[in-house]
Amino acid sequence: MSEPGDDKVKHLDEMTCLLYLERQLDHARGLEISAHTQECESCRTLLRALERETRLLTRAMLEDTEPLPSRLAQFHEAARRSMQWIWGLAFGMAATGVYALYTGYIQPWQQQLEQAGFSGTNLLGLLIFQSPFWKGWQSMVTLLEILALATLGGLGFMFLRRRLRRGSALALVFAGLCAAMLIPAQASATELRKGDRVTIAKDEVIHSDLYVAGGRIRVDGTVEGDLVVAGGDVEVAGHVLGDMLSASGSVRVPGQVDGSIRGYAGNITIKGQVGRNVMTFGGDVNIDRDATIGGSITSFSGRASFDGHVQRDVLAMGGQVNIGGNIGGSAKIRADELNIDSSAQIAGPVNYQGNKPPQVSEQAKLASPVRFEKVKHGPDYSNLHYYIWQVIWLAAFILYGLVLFSLMPKFAQEAVHYAEQYGAAAGLGVLVLFGVPIAACIACITVVGLFIGISTLFVWYASLYFAQVIIGTVVGQWLMGRTSEFWPFIGRMAVGVIIVRLCTTIPHVGGWVKFVVILWGIGAISLAIFRRFQPAAATAQMPPSAQPLPPNTTIGGPLPA
Amino acid sequence: METEKPRRMSAPGTTEPTGAIARARAGDAEAWGELYREYAPAIFRFCRRAMPTREDAEDATMEIFMKLKGKLSQYDTTRSFSAWLYKVAANHCWDILRRRRIRQDKETEDVENLPLEHPEPTQLEKLIEQRSGEEVRRALEKMGARARMALVMRYYSDMTYDEIADALGVRRAFVGVVLLRARHELRQALEGNAAIAAGGAS
Ligand SMILES: [Zn+2]
Repeated sequence: MSEPGDDKVKHLDEMTCLLYLERQLDHARGLEISAHTQECESCRTLLRALERETRLLTRAMLEDTEPLPSRLAQFHEAARRSMQWIWGLAFGMAATGVYALYTGYIQPWQQQLEQAGFSGTNLLGLLIFQSPFWKGWQSMVTLLEILALATLGGLGFMFLRRRLRRGSALALVFAGLCAAMLIPAQASATELRKGDRVTIAKDEVIHSDLYVAGGRIRVDGTVEGDLVVAGGDVEVAGHVLGDMLSASGSVRVPGQVDGSIRGYAGNITIKGQVGRNVMTFGGDVNIDRDATIGGSITSFSGRASFDGHVQRDVLAMGGQVNIGGNIGGSAKIRADELNIDSSAQIAGPVNYQGNKPPQVSEQAKLASPVRFEKVKHGPDYSNLHYYIWQVIWLAAFILYGLVLFSLMPKFAQEAVHYAEQYGAAAGLGVLVLFGVPIAACIACITVVGLFIGISTLFVWYASLYFAQVIIGTVVGQWLMGRTSEFWPFIGRMAVGVIIVRLCTTIPHVGGWVKFVVILWGIGAISLAIFRRFQPAAATAQMPPSAQPLPPNTTIGGPLPA
Repeated sequence: METEKPRRMSAPGTTEPTGAIARARAGDAEAWGELYREYAPAIFRFCRRAMPTREDAEDATMEIFMKLKGKLSQYDTTRSFSAWLYKVAANHCWDILRRRRIRQDKETEDVENLPLEHPEPTQLEKLIEQRSGEEVRRALEKMGARARMALVMRYYSDMTYDEIADALGVRRAFVGVVLLRARHELRQALEGNAAIAAGGAS
């Protein structure tokens, strides 16, 4: 087929023609071939045939667009449905947990609080009212507070960026801030006294609420509204017609408060008359022999003695509780030690949960004997319920991990990855495990920080569990090898979590295992968060994804017609 | 001339679904569904051409998308998404085929040394001319796994020689040989005999 003049010219082989058509030859070679096919009929035919073959192949491949089989079309929907099922289960279990928690702990506590004259908003108000009058709060704008704000800001940003659109996230933050600001603004018709020493003289009458902040505070006069005090040393010998709220080092109330007394004090002594309830958090609480409390007492304190007259119930939690007075209602005590003196007189039942058996004087007048329940320490290994609960907890853990991993798969993988940098993870773990709650509590003290501080504590608490899931996954990967696929990853997580949970239930050692696991996991999570904010460093740490280099021999000459 | 990646003719979408990818990476199931609906048909057809049976193709498609979920974080957003998808798909299909050992061993090691037969150009033209896509597809089904895989990668998903070399685990310089041999095999399958493919001109 070759033309007469081409005898000495070597014809193109099929390989060369193919590479030319596929533009895989360099420019010079492409021109050579182009020039040859201009003259050589046979090679031109070959080239054309190959090109037609290419077109035929491409057409055969691309035509007949078979629709996606229904099995595949439903595949994603099915996956979603199975996820919905998991979500349903997760929410169901969460709801059950919340309900159990609510009925078991929160509701009784809330009832006690309500009995003591609190509603939910009041409690928040109390916290917020106290804050601005706390003496040393300005000096608290320290490194720790900034740290807490930064940590939570970062977490919040990450979370909000994903879950909400930008506008609504901002709106949410502003709404929270405004709500926090509005509450103190409502009670603006007040009188404010400040100073190192503040005294309300005996004949002085304050016709509104009174806010006092100072080192030494004496209220001998009359306050017709509420009295809010923050100070080192407070004595209220006068008459408060409203409630008294206090956050102080030492408080003495020889006077009369017609409303309730609520607040925090290192040391609180009530000698006078309180019209309604007393609720205190403090180191030392004394209800003096001469005191009369019109309502009930709720006290959380290291040492409490109730020697006065309480019309209604007493709820006390603390180290040591002494009852020497008259209680018109019931007494619920949860303490290390309970002493009931000979002068005591209790009309209702006495329930006591504690370590030591109660010391009850024979002369004490009790409506019924003290019901004592010894507080159990540690798990009861002989009880079947213990094992059932362990299994339920285990399932909850795996489910929690599943939810987290499917919510943020990339972050979970990173955290697992960083968990294997043992030193850094453990070091950071110590810092975050102890530092964050301290910082969050400090943030709670300031007005704006309250919302942030409480949220930080929630996130921190959740991350204690997440830490165990992460370490479980690391253990699972040790045993079963690494993977980056979703379900195998979940499988390793489940196996690892089972092992970690088993280790944490070993008597004596288990607690320490748990501690180390949490420390390590928290460190890994923090490291992953930390690296998130250093994108350059993070990419250097992660293995680079393989990408082909651009081809260095490509383009050919123009195709012959 | 400068290096340039060939245009992806068969890419399902011309615009990159950057937003959906970013959201899917963050774990958004809705975005993932979007990507699936957009790309699953193309990936299924890729598997349909590359795998011997329809069931294999369906299984492979599902497995590829399961795999993609975990691998999405590795995707370099500066590159073509469909190209990356096809790369993952090709690697997966070739893994399965290789594991089943249905590749033709004669193709693997010594092909490089085998002389290539040269067709007679006019006869080749005749052979190609009257063929329908349907015939070609049936012929493809008769072919060896590796030859078929190579043709699918090149002529369905428009992968580069580098990408094909990577997926098949051969040197780049050898990709042309694989493709040419695959065409010869196709011609044989089309003709039902070796006459034309073997009828050398030189
Ligand atoms: Zn020629």
